[in-house]
Amino acid sequence: MAGPRLILFAALAIVTVASVRADERRVVKNPHFGQVLFEFYQDNYFSALTRVMTEQQFTRLAPHAEEAELLRGGILLSYGAHQEAGRIFERLIAAGAGPATRDRAWFYLAKIRYQRGYIEQAEDAIARVEGALPGELEEERRLLHANLLMQRQQYQKAVDVLQRLPPRSDWAAYGRFNLGVALVRVGERESGVKLLEELGRARAPNEELAALKDKANVALAYAFLQDNQPARAKAYLQRVRLNGLLSNKALLGLGWADAALDSHERALVPWVELAHRNAVDAAVQESLLAVPYAYGKLGAYKQSLDSYEAALVTYAQESNRLDQAITAIREGKLVSNILRANPADEAGWFWRMQNPPDVPEARYLTQLLASHDFQEALKNYRDLRFLEGNLAHWSQQMQVYRDMVANRRQAYAERLPRVLSQERTLGLERLRTAAESRAGEIARIERESDSAALANDKERALLDRLERVQRALAAAPDADAAEKFRRYRGLLSWDLSVQYSERLWEAKKELRDVEGLLAQADQRRAALKQAQTEAPRGFEVFAQRIEALRANIERMRPAVAQAAHAQEQYLGELAADELSQQRERIAAYVTQARFAVAQIYDKAVRSEEARKE
Amino acid sequence: MLKKCRSVFLFIAIATGMVFAADDDAKTQNRQALDTKIQTLKQEVIELNRDLLALEEELLFPANTQVAVFLSMDVGTLFQLDSVQVKFDNTVVANYLYTEREVQALYRGGVQRLYLGNLRSGSHELVAVFTGKGPHNRDYRRGATVTFDKATGPKYIELQIRDETTSQQPEFRVKEWQ
Repeated sequence: MAGPRLILFAALAIVTVASVRADERRVVKNPHFGQVLFEFYQDNYFSALTRVMTEQQFTRLAPHAEEAELLRGGILLSYGAHQEAGRIFERLIAAGAGPATRDRAWFYLAKIRYQRGYIEQAEDAIARVEGALPGELEEERRLLHANLLMQRQQYQKAVDVLQRLPPRSDWAAYGRFNLGVALVRVGERESGVKLLEELGRARAPNEELAALKDKANVALAYAFLQDNQPARAKAYLQRVRLNGLLSNKALLGLGWADAALDSHERALVPWVELAHRNAVDAAVQESLLAVPYAYGKLGAYKQSLDSYEAALVTYAQESNRLDQAITAIREGKLVSNILRANPADEAGWFWRMQNPPDVPEARYLTQLLASHDFQEALKNYRDLRFLEGNLAHWSQQMQVYRDMVANRRQAYAERLPRVLSQERTLGLERLRTAAESRAGEIARIERESDSAALANDKERALLDRLERVQRALAAAPDADAAEKFRRYRGLLSWDLSVQYSERLWEAKKELRDVEGLLAQADQRRAALKQAQTEAPRGFEVFAQRIEALRANIERMRPAVAQAAHAQEQYLGELAADELSQQRERIAAYVTQARFAVAQIYDKAVRSEEARKE
Repeated sequence: MLKKCRSVFLFIAIATGMVFAADDDAKTQNRQALDTKIQTLKQEVIELNRDLLALEEELLFPANTQVAVFLSMDVGTLFQLDSVQVKFDNTVVANYLYTEREVQALYRGGVQRLYLGNLRSGSHELVAVFTGKGPHNRDYRRGATVTFDKATGPKYIELQIRDETTSQQPEFRVKEWQ
């Protein structure tokens, strides 16, 4: 069961993102939420997560607040933070989220609970999903439901649930595989075989499904081999691809099926082919024993003996290489080599090691390196290394920000006296008195309709001149000149009265402008006064925040480095354990080979003795 | 021998990938303890990053002078974005060349924060020049201009690239967020 279960876990880890990806273009009504999605859609999950949390802090996500929180929960879940993700989904449900959000939250909760082994609670959560979930999420929900039913051994119901999945769905194929294996294991062999057979015959449009198809056929074949039905086993093995990941196992099984049918000559065909393949593979190692075993059955003792001896040489070489590999792993180079072979910008859910490192020890670790648990542990390590880099970056930034605040504080202290003195030289009070006096004057002009008071320079010069003429006429009267004076003065008065209204309006407007400027100056003065108390406080608040955050960064840096080191050691132990197991297996093969060699010699000695007698 | 070899093989076939199942309890507990510790650390660093990003924004781009320019795009059948230049009051503040991954993220509804900076209150002019491939895969270069008032709160401006189906031409709009 563990094999298929591992596949399922890997699949579950991926589907969260896949399901979000299946959602087509989103309508975004807030650029800040759009910015989160911009990071998310580029697989920059760490940036998306920290961005969504920052925007939440600034409360800038309406009307997408609920969706953003769901997204945060989803990212955290795939980031391995089950507890916090669970709390988010529970909060969303308790807060009365809309049906779509609520359904997704219940689904995610069901998934978390299932992964952590709380089957009953997971069943309760999945039962609360009311509507269909979007995209592939719905398929994943059905698969999860089927898995829960399998846990309860309600296989028929699980079959029904899986049958409702689209026939071409990858999830349906994984579900059927899991179910088939589960049924065989609990003794419902016929139903299990039927399911696996369907899968083993199905069309496989992609590599993933082709591999699953191979796996179903190999699983069936070995079940029948174990059940002493070699002929039936052969039929399944012949469906396995020759160059797939399981081809070695299939060739080995094919040989055993023929051997069980007493066709040792036939058995040699796949085994000899296998024995020429890379001896790192367990099936190849085993074929090195199987080939001489078949020769022995055929009575070809000389060839059998030669093959056993050749096998012993190969086992010795492999054992030596394993020793070297274990030493290399204990020196701690494996993990750094893996990361070097698989660079990527940011830690994320989707990250999986794609390229095994090009080092000798990796050849022996293919299975381990591809396993879900190792990949998850590696992802954790990689995340920690990423966080180390992130904290180192912030540590430098904090120094810059600390200097920045100090510079601002100093610049402020230097500029403040200058600004205050400039403000004083403006003489605002004097200007205000002048404006008040001007306002009084305009009121008087309006009250007395004193158009002359609004005369321009030229008119004022004319008025002065007329006054001088009037004084001259008073001293020496002249009728003609008096008449001319009267006409000129009338003309000027007419001009002034015609322009009076417009000039009065302009004078009032100018006064309003001046009063506006004075009000602005008052505001600036008030702002300046406020700044004199608030700016130093603001600098202090920033300085304190920077110091507190800096202390947090410096506290976390060694903790993260220490955890990364522990995780690296753990990964190394896993790899070394795996290699030790392989070495033990080879040791077992060596014992068997030596025993067989001894038997052949013994047989040869006895037949020689019998011949002599 | 057959039985023995077969059983060895079956062990291989079934047990590959099961190395963890063979863990003893102490190892499992250690692993779980380390895992829990790592989850807690990750959570703490994520929260710390949130506080740091907030501090950075408040320190470098205070609300009273903050201005942000965003860029969004719809399905993009009529225009394939290569680059954008943004000018404020005739000064270039951003030049951005897009990767395929970024363009795909925009198509799917992501919004890019193209520029974050500071502006004094008052009237300002923004000019954005978009370069890319237009209809029939022809080189395409278009501008969009807006004059806006910057008050004492932060100002958010979104450059929108839309497919105008009636004219079969891309449209470049500027939206001011309140």
